[in-house]
Amino acid sequence: MKRWIGIVQMVFFLSLIGAPWVGAAGPDTLVVGVSSDIHTLDSGVSSDNYDWRQIYPCYDRLVKYKVINGKGSTEVEPQAAESWSVSDDGTVWTFKIRKGMAFDDGTALDATAVKFSFERTLKIGKGPADNIGAIKAMRIVDPYTLEVTLKNAYGPFLQTLATDGANIVNPNIMKHEKGGDLAQAWLAEHTDGSGPFKLVEWTRGQRAVLEAKSNYWGGAPKVKKVVVRFMAESADRRMALERGDIDIAENILIDQIPALEKNPDVAVQRYPSQLVEYVYINNQKSPLDNPKVRQALCYAVDYQGIIDYVLQGNGVQMRGPVPKGMWGHKSDLFQHTLDAAKAKSLLKEAGFGSGLNLTLIYSERRSSWEQIATILQSNFAQIGVTLKLQLMANPTLRDRVDKGDFELCLGAWSPDFADPFMFMNFWFDSKLWGLPGNRSFYKNDEVDALIRKAASIADQGQRTQLYQKAQEIIMDDAPYIFLYQVQTVVPMRKNVHGYVYNPMLESMYNFESISKE
Amino acid sequence: MRILQYILRRLFYMIPVLFGVTILVFVISHAIPGDPAKMIAGPKASRQAIENIRKSHGLDQPLPIQYIRFVTGLVKGDLGVSIRNHRPVTHDLKDFLPATLELTLASIVICLGVGIPLGIISAVHRNRLPDHFTRVFSVFGVSMPVFWLGLMLLLLLFYRNLGWLPGSGRLDIDFSPPVHVTGLYLIDSLLDGQFDTFFNAAAHILLPAFCLSYVYLAIVTRIVRSSMIEVLGQDFIITARANGIAETAIVLKHAFKNSLIPTVTITGLSFGELLGGAILTETIFGWPGMGKYVVDSVNYLDFPAIMGFTLIVALVYVSINLLVDVLYAFLNPRIQY
Repeated sequence: MKRWIGIVQMVFFLSLIGAPWVGAAGPDTLVVGVSSDIHTLDSGVSSDNYDWRQIYPCYDRLVKYKVINGKGSTEVEPQAAESWSVSDDGTVWTFKIRKGMAFDDGTALDATAVKFSFERTLKIGKGPADNIGAIKAMRIVDPYTLEVTLKNAYGPFLQTLATDGANIVNPNIMKHEKGGDLAQAWLAEHTDGSGPFKLVEWTRGQRAVLEAKSNYWGGAPKVKKVVVRFMAESADRRMALERGDIDIAENILIDQIPALEKNPDVAVQRYPSQLVEYVYINNQKSPLDNPKVRQALCYAVDYQGIIDYVLQGNGVQMRGPVPKGMWGHKSDLFQHTLDAAKAKSLLKEAGFGSGLNLTLIYSERRSSWEQIATILQSNFAQIGVTLKLQLMANPTLRDRVDKGDFELCLGAWSPDFADPFMFMNFWFDSKLWGLPGNRSFYKNDEVDALIRKAASIADQGQRTQLYQKAQEIIMDDAPYIFLYQVQTVVPMRKNVHGYVYNPMLESMYNFESISKE
Repeated sequence: MRILQYILRRLFYMIPVLFGVTILVFVISHAIPGDPAKMIAGPKASRQAIENIRKSHGLDQPLPIQYIRFVTGLVKGDLGVSIRNHRPVTHDLKDFLPATLELTLASIVICLGVGIPLGIISAVHRNRLPDHFTRVFSVFGVSMPVFWLGLMLLLLLFYRNLGWLPGSGRLDIDFSPPVHVTGLYLIDSLLDGQFDTFFNAAAHILLPAFCLSYVYLAIVTRIVRSSMIEVLGQDFIITARANGIAETAIVLKHAFKNSLIPTVTITGLSFGELLGGAILTETIFGWPGMGKYVVDSVNYLDFPAIMGFTLIVALVYVSINLLVDVLYAFLNPRIQY
């Protein structure tokens, strides 16, 4: 017995003298804890913000998002392009490229490099090609002047040039080409751009290391190194942030935020994002092809209740399809509010006074969906609609949405570039039924005409008018249930400065301007 | 010599088993409704982009052709290209398998290194304090959810609150991974003579390995205890005691050796399960292993990756079973093949 007590005492004593583990990085290294590993580093292939987080800082683009008074904006300003002009009909754009920019091997960034990069992305033909798909042809006028001809005039063109798909890649990557793959195999694991950072290590499942370039033409970044740690578990990221082992923690579950806010070393910032969650109503399926039924469903939802419960208040109800903060948003547009009596009478008018059975499909892709589904079920029960919930694997869900094989489905959407086109044309153009964007299989000829016209002209004032008119028609037709716009919550250590949130660059960081005390 | 024949025969039997596994997995994974091209093309992909992806990965071919292409590749040691990250699956396995293997081996070491002594102590001091302690300890092990154990008890206590051990991941950020030889950091760092990397990696593996091993550790403890108790009550032990043989020798030499067979059986089975079932532990401890890789692959219907993973696990499982069967013969001369 005595021996056992001795052993326990010894273990206790040893554990007391154990030195605390020190894993925090110095002020030259910024450590970000994120939830997901990189899939590929090729900007011609990836459509994923989690990839862009590492790719974007390694490249320059023709234009960049403006920072106004320390705040990210959705307007663009020159980056690799010094200036540009556009023909009167809006189809020919001429870009003057800035001189003195170069890739790591000394190759100059010029019109040839830009033409090469765009052509490569278009040839690969994956997701990013859709973003710059308006390009018909390119011509090198002189080494630093590029003329781009579009298929038709395309309002959002300049905005698309700030996306990751428009990165300017070193043409010399072609020496790594294998079997005509346009160097995709090589670029999936490397970066070769003129941006402020360079990827020096990617240990799968663990971390990516970006090294700052002290000779970057736009000025050396404030930190020397950025380590992106892949940590799948939210609680793990939270603990690491509290210990100071990471400086910024991404995607912390909303119920863990109040505890983090109490920590004196951590600052929690909230930013209005452009990420929205909504319900696709299949407009082609009876009885949902009746606008009255759709209106009734929109009136049956307790919007504020969902925001308070699911997001713990970190969001605002959508007012129409274009979120707040994006131009084209109409601040006095009609907005549905919970009105069960009205919903019931609409159902009665539609001939469903005795009730209705509907099915909502959703997957586990977003943690919020299970909760929203349950709330919708109880909301709809109030107006006599029995909602069956069907949880399924995400690939199955996407397939069924694409085929229109559903009645109601939960969805989330965030824009790739700062233009209402990302909402209006994707969600409502009857040519884009299914996965490409119009997931409610909505068709209204007048709306089609308005949004297509808005996409083909450059004048923002005129486009705003067209889009706002379309929004009014849409609110009558009620093709979707517009739920809410999410607030992005970014917890970071208090000694981190210079972070600028940009709603267009969700899950991405302006590493070049961030410093650490 | 006969055992050699037996091993060869068993190795030969592995071929149809693995072949059967490929058919089974191929059929099951394609029975899930869904289209990987629609997953990979990104959230807003156009019809054209989806079509391009389908073509470039051969997903537009009929299923039997896709299967034949997979098997032909397999014979040449090529597991195909992952649809999700566009890399050869063999490269992915090379990156992710060693981490899981290292974690599994470390868990087995803890499992046996702690479980066997505890079982022996428990059996020898039956119904006394050490035995009670061990039994409570092992009841905790078999009944505690991995998630709770890992997160609340291990990470929260030893990392966040006490700060004695490092958090998730395989190394601190100041350390670079050692040169890839086996992919097992503990071995590679020693081969490279980087002792500080070795100690860092060892500190990192301690919590996840314990978390993963706890359930099996408890089972091993209980099995060793019960079989020891059984053996210790047999006549030959009484004879040995009557002959005046030292108690330590009786316990370790005579009794323990006889209780090894069930331990080996359970260890073999555990190894296979640890290898394929470490997903929760890997997620909690940010351990870059196969578990998380294969769950992501399933979410994207990444068929080549799913097939590759299943094949490897099946191969290891079958090999371990063979090893266990061979070990029986060494442990108990009465068993012959």
